Amino acid sequence: MEILGYLLDALTPFNLLLALVGVILGTVIGALPGLSATMAVAVLVPFTFTMDPAAGLIALGAIYTGAIYGGAYAAILVNTPGTPSAIATTFDGFPMAKRGDGGLAISLATIASVVGGVVGAVALLVLAPPLARVALAFGPTEYFWLAMFGLTLIAALSVGNTLKGLIGACIGLFLSMIGVAVVGGDVRYTMGMQRFLAGIDLTSAIIGLYCVPVILDLVATRDPHLKPSVTGGLRVAEGLRMSLARKLNVIRSSVIGTIIGILPGAGGSIAGLVSYSEARRSSRDPDSFGKGNPDGVIATEAANNATVGGGFIPTLVLGIPGTPPDAIILGALLVQGIKIGPTLFTTDGNIVYTFIWGLLIATLLMLPVGLLIGRYAYASIVKVPKAVLAPTVALLTIIGAFAIHSNVEDAQLMVGLGILAWILNRYGFQPSPIVLGLVLGSIAEQGFVQTWLIGNASGRLPEMFFNRPISIGIILAALITLAFPIWADWKARRRAQLDTAGEAVSDAGAEIPDEVKTRSIPSIIIAVIFVLIGIWIIMGARSMSMLGAVFPVTIAVALIALSLLLIGQQLRRPAGPAEGIVLDEGGKRRLALGAAMMGWVVLMPELGFLVTSLIAFALIMVIANYDRVPARTWAIWLISGAVICTGFWWLMANVLLLRMPAGIFF
Amino acid sequence: MKIALVTIFAGLVAATPLAAQDAADFPTKPMTYIIPFNAGGESDISARFQQSEWENVTGQQVVIQYQPGAGGAQAWSQLNSLPGDGYTIMGINLPHTVLQPLAGSVGYATEDLTPVHYFHYTPDAIFVKQDSQFQTLEDLVNYAKENPGLVTMAGSGSNSSNNLAAIRFNELAEVMTTYVPFSGTGPSITAVLGGSTMAGFNYATSGVAQGDALRMLAVASEERLPAFPDVPTFKELGYDIVGGAYRGVALPNSASEELRQRVSDIVAEINAAPAFVEKMEEAGFVLTDVTYDQMDEFVAARVEEYTAGAKALGIIE
Repeated sequence: MEILGYLLDALTPFNLLLALVGVILGTVIGALPGLSATMAVAVLVPFTFTMDPAAGLIALGAIYTGAIYGGAYAAILVNTPGTPSAIATTFDGFPMAKRGDGGLAISLATIASVVGGVVGAVALLVLAPPLARVALAFGPTEYFWLAMFGLTLIAALSVGNTLKGLIGACIGLFLSMIGVAVVGGDVRYTMGMQRFLAGIDLTSAIIGLYCVPVILDLVATRDPHLKPSVTGGLRVAEGLRMSLARKLNVIRSSVIGTIIGILPGAGGSIAGLVSYSEARRSSRDPDSFGKGNPDGVIATEAANNATVGGGFIPTLVLGIPGTPPDAIILGALLVQGIKIGPTLFTTDGNIVYTFIWGLLIATLLMLPVGLLIGRYAYASIVKVPKAVLAPTVALLTIIGAFAIHSNVEDAQLMVGLGILAWILNRYGFQPSPIVLGLVLGSIAEQGFVQTWLIGNASGRLPEMFFNRPISIGIILAALITLAFPIWADWKARRRAQLDTAGEAVSDAGAEIPDEVKTRSIPSIIIAVIFVLIGIWIIMGARSMSMLGAVFPVTIAVALIALSLLLIGQQLRRPAGPAEGIVLDEGGKRRLALGAAMMGWVVLMPELGFLVTSLIAFALIMVIANYDRVPARTWAIWLISGAVICTGFWWLMANVLLLRMPAGIFF
Repeated sequence: MKIALVTIFAGLVAATPLAAQDAADFPTKPMTYIIPFNAGGESDISARFQQSEWENVTGQQVVIQYQPGAGGAQAWSQLNSLPGDGYTIMGINLPHTVLQPLAGSVGYATEDLTPVHYFHYTPDAIFVKQDSQFQTLEDLVNYAKENPGLVTMAGSGSNSSNNLAAIRFNELAEVMTTYVPFSGTGPSITAVLGGSTMAGFNYATSGVAQGDALRMLAVASEERLPAFPDVPTFKELGYDIVGGAYRGVALPNSASEELRQRVSDIVAEINAAPAFVEKMEEAGFVLTDVTYDQMDEFVAARVEEYTAGAKALGIIE
């Protein structure tokens, strides 16, 4: 057992220390939305040049896996994925936290992440060369269908509201097309604005769509952000028991995560979404998903940490990086003079296997580290007064959106999208379908156009799309996911029918009437706007190359058709009581907060990052505060606000070396 | 109180001595090197190779940051708004910075950018996978002549060096092949390895990374590459294709002439470091030494070449 021998190399005190520090650093960075594993790994690479290659790799790998795990905290506690991998963690994690089970959700996320990470790393350890073939078996067609499969989750996420869910997905798909097209090279829908050239940044869009509505609702009432837990703490023992009872879900999600991790370009967000979808499908109680079902958290977190080990498989075996952090680590290896590729596992086996053991150890260290940090994070989110919590979360969203490209425009977009998302959500258009469209859009489009080009060249277009074994498998899975909610609904109704038939005495009068749905004028207005947007998309596509135009036109036609359907559906409903827009206390505070955040990001380039942050922080404190507070407390709050703002500013300017907007002040 | 704070901070900022403007002892603090692409591509890897020599040459470290977006245009359009003190430098690529402004409004013009040194290029090359029926370029050309359009070639992006080379190859070999753009070298190599396309027009560097799994049929360099002594050049085979992606270092236009020359010298010095040369050549990069004084002439020649290519791509009339 040569492989076991390398375990001892990984167990040196220095390597253990690196793994520990890496996991701690990664977890904290991952928990802050926008500060990504990529950023942390990129800054730290030069330090590994002088280290022993295996030690350097262990440090980078530990940061990476810690960051993917850390993303769960923000997802559970403030409904904002700390990394895109944690998108699906918000679906059930945040509802759990709201009802007082936040500590439990963190425990579950930690346990699932560790198991997922271990499964991924073990796959890397024993099966890497054969598994790398999976990456090659996935051609453009398979990526296209995988994206389609991801989109079918919308049917499940928006039960009872499918039309609006599909419209949201079209909007997300459209947003993903903005900017310079990879295939075709057209500049699309930028409206002549420089800021849209690179497209809508996924991370800042996610922060805006998920987190800004949470802050807006946070200030609108005096209720605490999360219901305090009855028992308190993280409830680790309960979490362990629950995970054991759901071991099938844990293992299945870990395997899905490992396999999707192997596919370059797919990544943790898709792995999380697919395994979430599978967990929901195989659950006995699919309707409780999205309302705080622990299985949802487990599935996502097991899968996304499994992608870390999975992603290293094509990186190390084929030299094709699975994710951006993998790519940076690949560069670090090349600088060390290590030749990546099929021979790596034999020629540099000592380095590779020592690293993989180190990654496994780092993953196990996530358990104590995570529970410790989690305990602290949960306690502070619950205890911090709203007047400090709201501006801190607002500051984090702005930092997160800004930090990705050192670009204030991303932060402006984030706030704008966030406010739009709140309005849309109020009228039944949820953010998740939009995010799904945005995540999957470019994968779907590139896969589609490439398949089309290849299929056309050989004159076998239908075979290319529908007659490849893996594709058929994915299509079937997608169809099952689509049909399952309908089938479950039908079965439930049939059972109800049988039940009533069995009862001898039928009391017709006691039938529960369907909830009377009334016409919603705002929904109609929004649908009309979407029809106009669809027409504008088609007009804009006329000047594009054929490759660049085919996808936007398809999406626009779908958007127009779905919106018209929605208008028709609304018009058939009885008119409801007139809804006047009443600006109550909560509404006023929401408006004030929206204005404060907008002002913050608009004035930032003029006045400087720190100055605008200090002013906005104080302003949001006033907006979020409901109590009469003695001057002494105010002083403490203001000082802590100033410390938080200055601390983050210093961290970004001097540790992450971001170019901070200076404006006329600083 | 806030005003007092502002005054104190403003005072502190003003009191910080300005970074030494004297180009002779530049740099006196760490530098920032912005890569306009994602990590893992050729731009990143060659910059990482430079990074490991940077401190030996300048006495200071360099920090690499990624600012991907719009095929590099996002970063290049912001280059001139960066401080011109020389401490922030940016990777710059050809033909990207010529083709992008021709293709559409991308927020900069070719002549807005100030490259100070182009230090290497990666020649385009045609690859097939190990078990492909094509042993030589001639096999591929013959097959393509008999089956117009059937040969698919994966490449990195639309309007890229790979795309230009593929179009020029079609023209010179009088064949019809189908170019399939992918989002970077990684995905396009995956397509070739996985058999999604019959061949690929990629950079020679991929041949090193993939070893025996790929076969390089021809390379678009002037002479055979040291790493691939057995692979013929297109020129040897009768096709006048020499080209690839050039990579260099640019400064904001506010940087002084002295600083431009100084940064050019630093890059040139790293280019001469034996360890750097060895790593680069082993990885399949071809070193060039286009220094600041030769830059105008070099860029003008490339602009002429790529403008002709842009016509062939159908970007311009």
